[in-house]
Amino acid sequence: MKDNYILETEHLKYRYADGVFALKDVNIRVRQGQTTAVLGGNGAGKSTLFLNFNGILRPASGSVSFKGKPLDYSHKGLKELRKSVGIVFQDPDSQLFSASVYQDVSFGAINMKLPEEEVRRRVETALVKTGISHLKDKPTHSLSFGQKKRAAIAGVLVMEPEVLILDEPTAGLDPAGTSDIMRLLQGAQSELGITVVISTHDIDIVPIYCGHAYVLDKGEVILEGSPKEVFREKTVLRNANLRLPRIGHLMEILQDKDKFEFSDTAVTISEARSTLKQWRDGQKRQ
Amino acid sequence: MINIDQYAYISALRRKDPLQKVFFALLTLGVCIWADSTVISVTVLAIMWGITVFTGRIPSRVFARLLLIPMLFLVVGVLTVPVNVSQNRDEFLFSFSLYGIYVGVSGTGIINAARLFFKALGASSCLYYLSLNTPMVSLLSALSRLKLPKLLIELMGLVYRFIFVLLETANTIFTAQNSRLGYSSLSSGHHSLASLATTLFMRAYKRSEELYTALESRGYDGELKVIEEKYETGWTEYIAAVLINFLLILTLVLSRRLTGGLP
Repeated sequence: MKDNYILETEHLKYRYADGVFALKDVNIRVRQGQTTAVLGGNGAGKSTLFLNFNGILRPASGSVSFKGKPLDYSHKGLKELRKSVGIVFQDPDSQLFSASVYQDVSFGAINMKLPEEEVRRRVETALVKTGISHLKDKPTHSLSFGQKKRAAIAGVLVMEPEVLILDEPTAGLDPAGTSDIMRLLQGAQSELGITVVISTHDIDIVPIYCGHAYVLDKGEVILEGSPKEVFREKTVLRNANLRLPRIGHLMEILQDKDKFEFSDTAVTISEARSTLKQWRDGQKRQ
Repeated sequence: MINIDQYAYISALRRKDPLQKVFFALLTLGVCIWADSTVISVTVLAIMWGITVFTGRIPSRVFARLLLIPMLFLVVGVLTVPVNVSQNRDEFLFSFSLYGIYVGVSGTGIINAARLFFKALGASSCLYYLSLNTPMVSLLSALSRLKLPKLLIELMGLVYRFIFVLLETANTIFTAQNSRLGYSSLSSGHHSLASLATTLFMRAYKRSEELYTALESRGYDGELKVIEEKYETGWTEYIAAVLINFLLILTLVLSRRLTGGLP
């Protein structure tokens, strides 16, 4: 294992059938056990990147490595890879193929050729972890969008992957649904030590749940670092059709227009709170 | 529209082995058709209604409303059965003459029509028993245990799963078109319907590609292998099914003896 990076891409280029490059020279390193966010506007190449991660797409040049080894694109190699790198797609209706939630969740585990008892155990665990045990007897089409999303996550968790990749996990969810899903992922991460990679344009969740962030624009990585570092680059973000978290924007306005002086940029509520407190204490001292 | 599917999932019998239900429904259906007797048909109807309503806890009105559908067709179809043509007027209960021959309705004709009507209704009730108490997924698992080709069962499963997605998509597109006056006139209606069909096809194609990618990511190997749900199973239900049908046949034989061959 090279350092503790579980997924890496080096000079990754991917070309669509029509010759357009969706990814141009992408270098990304995903640290084991961390939640990494891939930010980018529509059409930035996030989904294409993810499909390169589990070998559905093959790079035109450059390489993708899992645990320090370049991907093995043989039938057997891909099978092994997909046991370890699971993807949850954006639209659960495109992922859930069975009318039975229980059967759909079992699919990945069955494909791993596990004994039946182990499959049943894993399905139960995945259903409990995603909080949908009570829905296992329900037909898929009667589930709400949020419930389908959970079922889709359960269907990947059942394989007990080392890396869980989620394409827009919070798209289309209400605020409560968003924080539920993100907490579920946090739980999976701390209990099972799963590495999580999410793509999103829900900027506000990034500083709260993610340890590291990459910003993709037109198939290139334009920023990387901790959420705090990334959100310092306001102009670059805005040029990539993204924005600061609301709190960060407020702090920016306070600083630029209302002449507040802050020592650091704050992008979450708790950060803003302590920055403001600091500012107040500074005022008192003067 | 009454959603049969929805009731199958709330039936108290849904955990029962689907193969038992298929066996019982088809056996009784066979006996009902073979017996060709009003008494047996009505008994079958009563048994199926009783099991569905009392054991399966499906509301009685659901069963009744579902039976109305074949009944409508049956009434229309059966109306013509008792009508006969003959040169002897005495055969008919009432008749009129037409160019020297008589067209009318005879007593045996009415009995025949009633027998046919109830036979069809009894047979339908067997299938309603099956569909109201067996979710599609369980039915498919029964079919696969009956060694039907895997491909066929997988296709049925996918069609069943995605028919709801397709309907939902069609509905959304229709609403979007309708709210922009897409169906305000006949010609614009035609136009909108054509583009709805095209869009639906494109969406379905795109979704099938996405589905394939998602399946591949979960280790799809050319076969949709899933774990079967566990059902309550046992021999009692099979024995009960045979016993009930044995009694039906016995009733038939006895009633023929007593009435001297009348249906």
